[in-house]
Amino acid sequence: MLLKDQVALVTGGSRGIGKAIVQALAREGAKVAFVYRGSQQAAEELEKEITAAGGTTKAWQADVSDPEAAKRVVGGVMADWGRVDILVNNAGVIRDGLFIRMDPENWKTVLNTNLDGTFYFCRAVAEQMALRQRSGRIINVSSVAADHVNAGQTNYAASKGAVNAFTRALAVELGSRSVTVNAVAPGFIETDMSEAVRNKAGDFIAKKLVPLRRLGKPEDIAGVVVFLAGPAGAYVTGQVITVDGGLSLGAVTA
Amino acid sequence: MPTEQEIFEKVRTTLVDALNVDDDEVKLQSRLRGDLNAESIDFLDIVFRLEKQFGVKIPREELFPESIFQGDPNFVTDGKVNEGGLKELQERMPFADLSDFRKDPRLEKMEDLFTVELIVNYLKKKLGG
Ligand SMILES: NC(=O)c1ccc[n+]([C@@H]2O[C@H](COP(=O)([O-])OP(=O)(O)OC[C@H]3O[C@@H](n4cnc5c(N)ncnc54)[C@H](OP(=O)(O)O)[C@@H]3O)[C@@H](O)[C@H]2O)c1
Repeated sequence: MLLKDQVALVTGGSRGIGKAIVQALAREGAKVAFVYRGSQQAAEELEKEITAAGGTTKAWQADVSDPEAAKRVVGGVMADWGRVDILVNNAGVIRDGLFIRMDPENWKTVLNTNLDGTFYFCRAVAEQMALRQRSGRIINVSSVAADHVNAGQTNYAASKGAVNAFTRALAVELGSRSVTVNAVAPGFIETDMSEAVRNKAGDFIAKKLVPLRRLGKPEDIAGVVVFLAGPAGAYVTGQVITVDGGLSLGAVTA
Repeated sequence: MPTEQEIFEKVRTTLVDALNVDDDEVKLQSRLRGDLNAESIDFLDIVFRLEKQFGVKIPREELFPESIFQGDPNFVTDGKVNEGGLKELQERMPFADLSDFRKDPRLEKMEDLFTVELIVNYLKKKLGG
């Protein structure tokens, strides 16, 4: 087990990529707190599953876009387990729509969740990691959409591009305290979020645009998160690691 | 109340921990930036460690008021801290000895005020009530 007795906190852990990250960290021996917003039943099932397998976990209901939520959750994790070794900012949303008609509410929701949420949680753990522990791993889940954009995603691309820039800037500040900060940028992953696009073009994307000839699975992302959180990732910081089966290489298979 | 020597020794321990320097590098007159190579995050770290070491609360900007003059024309003229600025500085840092700084009050020299002795004097006042 790579992460025995470490304490991890994962946002958006009830479904999709976040759920796979929670499972993978728990399998490596970490105690895992995770945040969900609405999916209480899914969260409880995940708690049961991990506990049954001998792991330690706790679900926290919170909206990451609420400035107070991160303080409350991180305070709770500290009270439970006394430290935070790994933070994974995974909670994210899309509100796709062409820019000409974009509702400012949809701009705000995406930026507040994907970018501000990441800021709040980093802010809530930074002093603990940098000054008290002098160690920590922060992993932000970004997207290839930060650099390889689809129509209808101005809000989403802006949020993920900002997460990448923020990741690099924070890595510079916290480096001297042995806190690493990295991002993982998934391509097309099979989750609820990508369902609409997959239904429309999943086969085409997998067969024509992805050199590895398949869509990604949440586990494909979780594996890289475990790498960044574990001993093998100790000397990696400020990087955005693309995990997309080669999609962003831009090749079209003939 | 601890003696000045006791305060100094604890401050030295704090600085050794925060800045990764050797014991004998830390003298009363050492400048945190100029001599001990402190960077901005180190100042946060020092405050954090002093609070634990001495069991006191050190409000932000009280010991190291770094942002005090940023872009304020009332306090700075032609890159030098003016009379108004010096007065403000003395009010904000009554524990600081400004006599050297007054001779050459260039803004970028302000960080030289941040010495080990400054921390000791600050804590003397703070612990003395
Ligand atoms: N799927 C992809 O193809 C893909 C590609 C690139 C990047 N990503 C990124 O990967 C991350 C995870 O995506 P996913 O595909 O796993 O999405 P998903 O299946 O829609 O799951 C999203 C998760 O985030 C949580 N969440 C959403 N908004 C929240 C909020 N305001 N506060 C707290 N929790 C919140 C959800 O909680 P509830 O269950 O309670 O709603 C859920 O657990 C996102 O950052 C996404 O941008 C995904």
